Amino acid sequence: MKFLDKIKDYIRISRVAPIGRRYFIMNAFDGAMTSLGIVIGAYVAGDPEPLFIISAGLGASLAMGLSGFVGAYVTEEAERSRELDSLERSMLKDLEKSRIGEASRFASLWAGIIDGLSPVLAAIVCLVPFFFSFLFSVALATELSIVIALLVLFMLGAFLGKISSRNMFLHGIKLLCVGLVLTLILLVFRSIG
Amino acid sequence: MIRRLVLDVLKPHNPGIVELSNELSELDGVEGVNIVTYEIDQRVENVKIILGGNNINFEEVKKKLESLGAAIHSVDEVAAGTRIVEEVGTPQDKSARL
Repeated sequence: MKFLDKIKDYIRISRVAPIGRRYFIMNAFDGAMTSLGIVIGAYVAGDPEPLFIISAGLGASLAMGLSGFVGAYVTEEAERSRELDSLERSMLKDLEKSRIGEASRFASLWAGIIDGLSPVLAAIVCLVPFFFSFLFSVALATELSIVIALLVLFMLGAFLGKISSRNMFLHGIKLLCVGLVLTLILLVFRSIG
Repeated sequence: MIRRLVLDVLKPHNPGIVELSNELSELDGVEGVNIVTYEIDQRVENVKIILGGNNINFEEVKKKLESLGAAIHSVDEVAAGTRIVEEVGTPQDKSARL
């Protein structure tokens, strides 16, 4: 069996796809919101250095990624082991070496990878303008970064709408509003300060 | 040279019988597969698997089923040789029923 077919097989047997989707959206949302918070927070604090924003953003996203990977892997592994034990008791048979056992171990790893990668990817996408800050001003990079973060939030909401077969636009707007609320709160801080 | 094999198998719900039949039909010497579910429990199910072919390798079938998490409960019928011999009724069967 080819490598990709094997992965598809494990995903199907372990039924990890819906869990993976949940982890992806939850953590990509976290990643985008954290980036948004760092970018606007730096703007509120004064003249931000692009390198400072990139470092803070990457540091936060890597911490989220590592914590996401370990947290999801350990949790999923415990749940899957429990399920496998219960199935083994019903079958009166050791299933560790069967395809179900392999799929179960794969599912824990898969959940960890998705949980770990999604916030890092979302945060990096939001910080992209600062990587090109030598091309344009920091103010423009900040604005672009905010727009990208809000767009990422909208797309995550739209994806939620798609998988729930509901209105994609409406779900996109819901998550976009959360980002807008954060933006407004931080901008209010700036005007007060 | 096994031509027909009837097995009583206990298996988890996943993989289902559609996938199981596909996997078994891909084995060397197997030409046809029939799987019937006759009992479903909360976590497992009992199925009757009938394999037909020109040279079924029992060890390969057993290995495949085990890799899919299934367990053979019993081998209920085997037909081997150049011609498939069907089961025939005998007076003893009748007296046994009485």
